Amino acid sequence: MKTQERIPEDQLTRYVMGELPEAEQKALEAVMAKDPALAREVETLRGFCGLLWTELKKEPMPRLKPEQLASLRQDLEQGASSSPPRKSRKIWLAGIPLLAAAAAAFFLVKPQILSKSPGAHGDAEEVRFVASAPELPKDEKASAGKREAESVVGKEVVQEKKKLALAEVRRDQPTAASSPLKSGGPGKSMAGAVAQNRAPAGATGAAPYGALADSRSRRLIPKPEMKKSDHYAAEFDDAEANGADLGMNTEAYDAIVDNPFRATAQDPLSTFSVDVDTASYANVRRFLEGGQTPPKDAVRIEELLNYFRYDYKAPTDRPFGVEVEVGEAPWKPEHRLVRIGIKGKEGAFEARKDSNLVFLVDVSGSMNGPLRLPLVKQSLRMLVDKLDANDRIALVVYAGTSGLVLPSTSAREKATILDAIERLEAGGSTNGGEGIQLAYKTARQSFVKGGINRVVLASDGDFNVGISNQGDLVRLITKEAKDGIFLSVLGFGIGNLKDSTMEKLADKGNGNYAYIDSLAEAKKVLVEEAGGTLVTIAKDVKLQLEFNPEAVQAFRLIGYENRVLAHEDFNDDAKDAGDIGSGHTVTALYEVVPKGVAFTPRGVDAMKYQKPAAATGAHDGELVTVKLRYKEPEGSKSSLIEYAVKDKGRKLADATADYKFAASVAGFGMLLRDSEYKGAATWDQVMRLATEGAKDTPAALGPEQRAYREGFLELIKKARKAAPSP
Amino acid sequence: MDEKSPSVRFDRKAQLTEALERLEAPLVRYAAKILKDEERGRDVVQETFLRLWRVTGEAQPGPSAITSWLFTVCRNLAFDVLRKEHRMVVVSSGDVEATFAAPAPVESQEDGLSSVLVALKMLPPQHQEVVRLKFQQGFSYRDIARVTGLSESNVGFILHQSIKKLRTAVAAAGGEA
Repeated sequence: MKTQERIPEDQLTRYVMGELPEAEQKALEAVMAKDPALAREVETLRGFCGLLWTELKKEPMPRLKPEQLASLRQDLEQGASSSPPRKSRKIWLAGIPLLAAAAAAFFLVKPQILSKSPGAHGDAEEVRFVASAPELPKDEKASAGKREAESVVGKEVVQEKKKLALAEVRRDQPTAASSPLKSGGPGKSMAGAVAQNRAPAGATGAAPYGALADSRSRRLIPKPEMKKSDHYAAEFDDAEANGADLGMNTEAYDAIVDNPFRATAQDPLSTFSVDVDTASYANVRRFLEGGQTPPKDAVRIEELLNYFRYDYKAPTDRPFGVEVEVGEAPWKPEHRLVRIGIKGKEGAFEARKDSNLVFLVDVSGSMNGPLRLPLVKQSLRMLVDKLDANDRIALVVYAGTSGLVLPSTSAREKATILDAIERLEAGGSTNGGEGIQLAYKTARQSFVKGGINRVVLASDGDFNVGISNQGDLVRLITKEAKDGIFLSVLGFGIGNLKDSTMEKLADKGNGNYAYIDSLAEAKKVLVEEAGGTLVTIAKDVKLQLEFNPEAVQAFRLIGYENRVLAHEDFNDDAKDAGDIGSGHTVTALYEVVPKGVAFTPRGVDAMKYQKPAAATGAHDGELVTVKLRYKEPEGSKSSLIEYAVKDKGRKLADATADYKFAASVAGFGMLLRDSEYKGAATWDQVMRLATEGAKDTPAALGPEQRAYREGFLELIKKARKAAPSP
Repeated sequence: MDEKSPSVRFDRKAQLTEALERLEAPLVRYAAKILKDEERGRDVVQETFLRLWRVTGEAQPGPSAITSWLFTVCRNLAFDVLRKEHRMVVVSSGDVEATFAAPAPVESQEDGLSSVLVALKMLPPQHQEVVRLKFQQGFSYRDIARVTGLSESNVGFILHQSIKKLRTAVAAAGGEA
């Protein structure tokens, strides 16, 4: 460990303000990780800056007078833009009669005005104005009681989370983040200080505007045209060069506790909401490609499974079909594995309904860096290319303040849209809440009835300023989703990814969450799967399984930990659940302990009064009944589909390629999570199954899917290297 | 610029309207602090928006720059007013120490003001301005530098000094807010 050089105080201030270049930021975080006193000082400083935010928002914010506003609006309406070109400074007063008169008068009668000026803060008046000011602080006391919408509940977040909110813990105790992790902590590649890669943000900022803003024009950040491979090489080489143990990053993940085995005799039901997110796979891949094991909580097995497509038959009469395959659990051959596959109806993307999309792009300082804003821009460009005259696009940015960069515009005007995307630049702090409000407002204004109305958020998810009250945010998103405006979330960036926030937002907004770490990934999500990403074909899709106690002792749902529902929620149409997009597939695996296999349920005594129902033989051979509820995208009543499943005793060798591949992905996830249920799973076994699954990729899935599966083989190799045996 | 299609101009109008709704109040607050007078703050802000309506061609700020453009112009106009009233000795901007060497006149400490706001008023006006741009507008150092004409490192220095002083003052006031 290097002896700690003195950190200049003002560097701490810069750090807290988010103004340090990424390299210095990482270096400082590394020092902080080893110096609790310094870390505490930074937290205190952060706290004080938070106080400044809150307190300074309390300063009265007088508005223009109504007649001033009216006159400005009228002026704008009358086509001010076609008025004569700029006037020279000397004569501007003459050029604007109304105001000139007012201004002249005010200079002339200065003494009078002065006499009433100093400190004449008409309090009552100010409060009145504050109440309707658009730039109100969204947090805490400043606005409490001034707008009914602001019935703020401070710690809502905690209640919202079903699981332990590890995210918050990590923020508060930076050093704790690395301890539960193997192999050098999570930060190694995070330290990928990408200084030389960052968009040259400072290059354009020097000249201040003149009084007349004469030389002013759009400031463009030269577009860093980088290839994906370059990003990788640069970021990760840098990581290695940057020394072994910058063991700290600020990524946040909610803790995941594996679903346990449940004894059928105690509770034969299992209920959960579908989840079509795939973000975890790309995120895990990013870690492994950097030579590290991902944090356990970043590995969500259902998202790994759903990253891949399986050859489920597409229904024609219903929104989706269900397929079930039962086979051997590779990691515990005496157990059975039930694979449930759901496939959304394939609607040609070209035949989609009219759409109204609002891109909400985080342009705060944290989005600087090649894998962030530039990648966002490239991703958006690709999506825009797919759209046509039936689509409308608006662009809202947010940083310290938010703004409408592009009002809703027909996708026919591609040049206008692409130009607006091109002009995005990063800088400033993040106030995600305000941006989201503006985005929803924009979406409402061009709402397409019966069409696709969606806000697409692109961010690293760091809602670090202003309305960071997740409870409020979640309520807003839930409400908008009920009104028909859905939210999709695209996660970008490394080192600061607020995975937990992002997933939650998409979840509440009837949307999906994808993590985009490369141009290839952007292409998968926004081009190949544009339908699934943007077109919802069924909402509130819930599954309930009833296991037959005559055949099953116990069962365990693999993954979907944060999607588990109460049994009674299944029939409750008021309970929100996941959505399925066009062509999406959802795969869920259950590990089942059949009757006659030695098994001790953990921590539960044998039932004293419950007797197994007499074997009636009525459902002989039935293993489980799968029930599925869904609503049409605009419906409010759910429909039910039911299937009874028999176990034909199929061996692993006879399983389909899809089955083997899915089992391999699950084994991979359990190994990475070092799950207590991993049984006899080994990297060799995972590799063998995946290889077979990839080799026999069903032709119907197309060459891309085969390529994705082959990519998984590479990932297993990396995982084997990075993670300890087996 | 004249070849702009009508739809582009329409979009521009929507942007300007949006900017007016979003920024008029923050701008009045900002200008009123510089001028120490709300009424004249309003006049300056009205003029600022008129400038925005009238600015054409290359001089037009792009969508993401409208905010800092407005603050810059607003500030310049406000300082014009002060200059005309001979209430301000003009110093070259960028020179931190020289500008506003004298501490701000201590205003009567209204009851109910939090210790933070009381302490803020003890800072030199320029420092107050920078602190407000940071914590009321959420501007980056770069934005603040653009608006005030200070260098970025100056902005960083001022903010650091100001936060330090504010912390000391608030702690002395009993730490409550």
